[in-house]
Amino acid sequence: MSSSSSLLFSINNEGKVYALSTSGSCWREFMYLGLEFKTLSAVPHYLWAVGGDRQIYLHVHGLEIPIRVKEESYENERWLPLEGFSGRLLPTDRYHFSSQDGTKDRSIDRIRLPSMAWQWEGDWQLELTLDGQPLDHDGWSYAVDFPAHFSPVKQWKSCVRRRKWIRYRKFSAMNSWCAIAPLHKDPTQEPFIDVSIGGNEIPYASPGTLSVWAITAHGRVMYRAGVSTVSPEGLKWINVSIPPNCDIKQISVGPTGLVWALLWTGRAIVRKGVTKDCPNGDGWLEVKSPSETKLSVISVGYNAVWAVGSDTRVWFRKGIDGNLAGSSEAAAMGNGWLEITGHMIHISVGKNDQVFAIGDTDKCIYWRSGITQSELTGKRWRMVQANMQLSRTSSSASVVSSASNAKHHSLTTLSETTPELKSNIHLHNSWEESHSAPIEHTLPVKPKDRRPKGNTNVENIDLTGKSYETTLKNPRAWSPVRSVGSVVGMEAQPDSDSSVFDVDSGMYFDEEVSQTAWGTCDTTWAFVEAGACSMDTVQVPHWFTDNQNAHNSDLNTKWRVQILENLKTRNQIQDIDLTNYGIAIEEKGWTRSCEARLVCANNTFEDSILSLYWHALENIGTLSVFQPDGTIKFILNLGEVTSVFTSSEPGCPRITMLVPRQLRDGIKVQFISEMEQEEWFSVLVDITSQINGLSGKPSPNSIWAITNLGDIINWDPMAAQLNTEYNGSYKKEFQVFGKDIMSGFSTNLNNNFLPGSTLKITGSLSDDIKRFHINLQGPEIKKQRHKIELEVTDIPLHFNVRFDESIVVCNSKSFGNWGVEERHPLPLAQGQEFSVTIVSESKGFKIVVNDKSYCFFEHRLNPENITSISVQGPLKLYTMDYCTTSVIIDPEEMIWRVMGGYLRRIESCQNGIIWGISHDHRAWVYTGGWGGGILKAIGSNEGINPMTDTQTYCVYENQRWNPLSGYTSTGLPTDRYMWSDITGRHKRTREHTKLLGRHWHWISEWMIDYNTPGGVDNDGWQYATDFPAPYHGKKIFTDCVRRRRWYRKAQIVTEGPWLRAGSTALLDISLWNNGEDVTVWAITLGGEAIYRTGVTANTPAGVHWEHVNSPQSFIAISTCNYMIWAVGRKGELYYRDGSSKENISGSSWKLIETPKCNTPFNPKSSVGVKCVSLTKYSAWVLLSNGLISVRTDITQEHHDGKHWKYLTDSEMTFKDVSSIEHEVWAVCTDGTLYRRLGVTAENPTGSVWQRVHSGPTVHVTARGSLLE
Amino acid sequence: MANDREVLREIWDGKLPICFQLAQEEIMEIQQPDPFYVMVPRLSYFPLVTDKMKRHFLRFISQENADNEMWLDYNGQPLKWHYPIGFLYDLYCGIDPQLPWTLTVHFTKFPEDVLLHCPNKDVVEAHYMSTVKEADVLKHRGQVMSTMQKKDHNQLWLGLQNDKFDQFWAINRRLMESHGDNEGFKHIPIRIYSDDGSCFQRLVSPKNVDGSRKVLQQMIAELYPDKINIKLRTHGITLPLDTPLQWLSEHMSYPDNFLHLCVC
Repeated sequence: MSSSSSLLFSINNEGKVYALSTSGSCWREFMYLGLEFKTLSAVPHYLWAVGGDRQIYLHVHGLEIPIRVKEESYENERWLPLEGFSGRLLPTDRYHFSSQDGTKDRSIDRIRLPSMAWQWEGDWQLELTLDGQPLDHDGWSYAVDFPAHFSPVKQWKSCVRRRKWIRYRKFSAMNSWCAIAPLHKDPTQEPFIDVSIGGNEIPYASPGTLSVWAITAHGRVMYRAGVSTVSPEGLKWINVSIPPNCDIKQISVGPTGLVWALLWTGRAIVRKGVTKDCPNGDGWLEVKSPSETKLSVISVGYNAVWAVGSDTRVWFRKGIDGNLAGSSEAAAMGNGWLEITGHMIHISVGKNDQVFAIGDTDKCIYWRSGITQSELTGKRWRMVQANMQLSRTSSSASVVSSASNAKHHSLTTLSETTPELKSNIHLHNSWEESHSAPIEHTLPVKPKDRRPKGNTNVENIDLTGKSYETTLKNPRAWSPVRSVGSVVGMEAQPDSDSSVFDVDSGMYFDEEVSQTAWGTCDTTWAFVEAGACSMDTVQVPHWFTDNQNAHNSDLNTKWRVQILENLKTRNQIQDIDLTNYGIAIEEKGWTRSCEARLVCANNTFEDSILSLYWHALENIGTLSVFQPDGTIKFILNLGEVTSVFTSSEPGCPRITMLVPRQLRDGIKVQFISEMEQEEWFSVLVDITSQINGLSGKPSPNSIWAITNLGDIINWDPMAAQLNTEYNGSYKKEFQVFGKDIMSGFSTNLNNNFLPGSTLKITGSLSDDIKRFHINLQGPEIKKQRHKIELEVTDIPLHFNVRFDESIVVCNSKSFGNWGVEERHPLPLAQGQEFSVTIVSESKGFKIVVNDKSYCFFEHRLNPENITSISVQGPLKLYTMDYCTTSVIIDPEEMIWRVMGGYLRRIESCQNGIIWGISHDHRAWVYTGGWGGGILKAIGSNEGINPMTDTQTYCVYENQRWNPLSGYTSTGLPTDRYMWSDITGRHKRTREHTKLLGRHWHWISEWMIDYNTPGGVDNDGWQYATDFPAPYHGKKIFTDCVRRRRWYRKAQIVTEGPWLRAGSTALLDISLWNNGEDVTVWAITLGGEAIYRTGVTANTPAGVHWEHVNSPQSFIAISTCNYMIWAVGRKGELYYRDGSSKENISGSSWKLIETPKCNTPFNPKSSVGVKCVSLTKYSAWVLLSNGLISVRTDITQEHHDGKHWKYLTDSEMTFKDVSSIEHEVWAVCTDGTLYRRLGVTAENPTGSVWQRVHSGPTVHVTARGSLLE
Repeated sequence: MANDREVLREIWDGKLPICFQLAQEEIMEIQQPDPFYVMVPRLSYFPLVTDKMKRHFLRFISQENADNEMWLDYNGQPLKWHYPIGFLYDLYCGIDPQLPWTLTVHFTKFPEDVLLHCPNKDVVEAHYMSTVKEADVLKHRGQVMSTMQKKDHNQLWLGLQNDKFDQFWAINRRLMESHGDNEGFKHIPIRIYSDDGSCFQRLVSPKNVDGSRKVLQQMIAELYPDKINIKLRTHGITLPLDTPLQWLSEHMSYPDNFLHLCVC
């Protein structure tokens, strides 16, 4: 189920909370816990509410991975004579335990859990790496003095040392109501009447910021300090003063942090000055109400404020601008009320300013349709008509049945949700910790409802029932009075669980039971909250019965079934023989032509006319390119095109076709319009796929790659494999007839010449032939000697026929030196036809001439290294047949098919499960379809889903200081562009940044980035002494230059055979399967390692993420054979110790020795790792300098392997590598795709790179490959 | 929107076996010509599918008539080429299906008063496009057709002519979308024919006064208040009376975007 769905919340007239998912069509009730709710306010995943007891509750839900916070403390020591290092520091020194900069006391015994909603995850641990370098097991790093640069090595001058303690705490009150502490000891003294959450899109604020406001019964306005996505309950209430004579009854916070409040008198006041630095604003402004109207409900959106009056009229406030509301009073207040038709009693504005309201007469929920950025008032009200899940909490049986679901635990089992079973003593402990939470007026609480250790499940159910009973009798037992963040009621499922909010698994109920309890019953609604609900106005949810979506429910109606049945039977004509009936419309060839431009290598253009001819029955297609005057330039057989992909640039719609047999770099065509380009693209992909018999889902063993424009291309080896296999051996005939041999003919074998391989050459010798030779040779290897590069080719077999000397010489050549000649008598005569067969045997080459065994040449060099054959001399070749034991893959015959969709990364495994990650870090899983987006006409619509992706464009504004005018945008003549990219070498301006195509659109304005790495000041500037230098956020007096980053977000809307999988943002993912058994590991955006459960061929998206504790944050991961390797943020490598089939998650992360890369080309010593691809016996590791090294001798005993090996045959640098078993593919820095040949168990680094696709590609996965 | 692909595909694939026979009076040779058998798409038009048949019969007729316009009749009833073939069959044989459908081919005595002339396929295209436009005026006040480009029109026509479902529906789906905030068309393009071939066209809204979906039965009650037990036939099937008109129009219109229903 799509976890990208969001929820609309509502409260019925009985005070019960319901949720309606945008991907569902049924209201689901939140478990009733004996507590009614008055009001709700939501942003995605976070819900704040005022309960019937007038206290405030928090509900965190739908997060796939737990909220974890890392507490850090640095232990500092100083070296003293006599004592050595000790915790006794100088009075001027920092605290013994401090924060990183030493300014704060961080004694680890005083770091407590903020509230009972949190739990510690393990104990304090030492961090044992520093910038990717391992530290000794005490974790100390040394420096001359505080503050200074710390290094792992102790020196004579090291006077201080420190080590870092870390401990994680976890928010454990997920999916349950969690009470927030009252303001006073006696909660009835100042209860709450309203609460509102928003601020999730405050302009420029760091991600995760939230703001919560509340109103007490005394009319005080409270702002909750410290609320964010990682601190859902915040720290404390802060009183915000209000103007005199203002008695506030309702408050609403918009996504931009803008606050409007309503007075009992029906007037509205607005909080001004709400910005990222001042989230609670700096003053109130009064807004005039619509004449003769008392407002009763108000709701703030991004660029809109909606209100309803006590007379049920609906009002829209014009002129609100969420981006400027913090700085401009006019933008915060708007400039006038506009009456909207309809009579409503309640209103709520959600994401994208979509509006929901409750009707006055029918108490039904309505959605305002037609709201867009340009038309914020929308068009009309549409009734939300979703089925209702009947309330069953009145029946005790259902409570038991729900409790019997293993997913549900009562509060009392809360502490058992951690892996180790904890006794109630622990519960007591955790309470003790929460007691000291930094919140005022917290009352101590007695741990309630203690259970003896080791309760069985049955008792558990019983107890749950009892505690539920207790709830009814004595609500105070559950009231929030006792503690901050105490957990009320039941958890749906421990920790993270997205399935709770899935559409078809009952929200808190058994599937079975909930089925029967569905029904349509009229509910009268009292309250609706849309803050978490994101409506897709293009594809509205199935909530409306009055619209075109209704046809979905038509699918099973009687009339539709009847029509379809009749249609199917009408053509069944029994008594006529239809064989002699011709087809009325014959398939014909068709042509299509257009004017276009050929883009040449040096970026010049040639105007031309393209003409495409296609005959489906004959399966023939040609592309003719004409000059504008009609003379022909060239004609291309579309059967020779191996890849078609888009290569557009802004304003230049382009397609590239690769024709490796004709041209090295392919043909690039620029079209007049995007529409034309898309049509041609679709047609070309369709035709080339038809010619090569490709359609639908590719085989599981395909290679997948991604081009630099996000096109997903696929090569399916099945076709090639089937075509050439014959009795277990693979044969290839080279086209040699008529080739010029005089100057030498050489061809790549695309394989090697292991024992069992044969090569047969036939031809005729010319009459005056003096000499000819046949070489079986290795790849060209560049060697550097005395700074002079040489190209050296090893020749394991040189077969030289010399008619002038009447002998045959066999020899070999290695490192540029010929070996010892072996001479044989001449078997051939000038002017005759001949055949030569070379058979590779285990000891040497058997050479057969004219079908008679001729000689034997012992192997001097490994025949594995033979990659090509070369023939030279005055002769004619007739045939050349090559036969070997493994598949011969000729890149000229590799047909790459565009699959549809838009992704950044892709990962496969051998049973056909494919996952992708888009630029916005969302995960997608392949549905088995083909097409979508601009490939519209291709394939069927099966498995094709809408896709979006977001990319951020950045430009840098650079300024230089001069003594007269301060910082200005006049630089020195030698300076970088004043508007540039990050390097400063390329000019980039906001105005000239263009989108790539019509499927892209801007979703923001240009904004200053206040989160630029390195820190920024209040205007977003960061300073440095000069360009380029390290930038810092605080201006110091030596700074002469400054820069700031502007960003703007763009979104692509397309389609593809992909479906969202989970809602967690991912950086990297790795798949591996052992038969049916699939392991999926991933790295979240926050750098945490997670693995997916329930992934099978039938449910490729799996069920949910399991989180694995990690002290480090990671950037890449790879798994194979139940082993896991991960790359840390600093480029260090880890493996997961103790992982096995039985215990997938393993026990701990251990460091792997970093590769020391000392190749002749790059004499840098130690470099970080960028990504890793793990196989059963080796790991291919891409280093940050673009080189590749291989870890060998990996076994089940040594997950970390034993030796590093380096590729020495070329100095190419790469940006991606993917390997499985003996198949290794990599993307070169220039975007060319390579495959490694000759990788075997004995030679794990392989022998040579084979160029397979000239790209530009950015990413490849070979993890599904099964070629060996 | 028309997205019940299963139904659309089924309708598109509807074919009729037809047996063409040359009218006796046309035969100038001693040898009797063989009848010409062909499977014809129900959604197509006769001038698009009769080229081969015409060539087959040409050598049996008097050469002076070879350039004459060919026409067809069924049981003495001249067939109007500007109606879809499937509709013509439903009209004349719907109640009493006879397969193969045996038609007589004529090269002389063109029934000027009954049939329109059709000198070439361009005329069929022009007629087809004008019908689509008329339907669009009824559905969307003509807004969709007028925003389409010439090549879209072309693709629509070529899709029909070459029997390419995807090519045709890539464009036709835009014609079948509801526009703006209105769910449903302004009016349903519908033509109802009595068994004598007379046509009946009215403005029919897809919704009832109260906003609910109008079904076939309700439309019949409006159009034929005095008759009961009327059944409507199209695409070779009798329509269930509770089918909503909007759905019917989206899915069961002929390529010219009209519902052609026969009363039976």
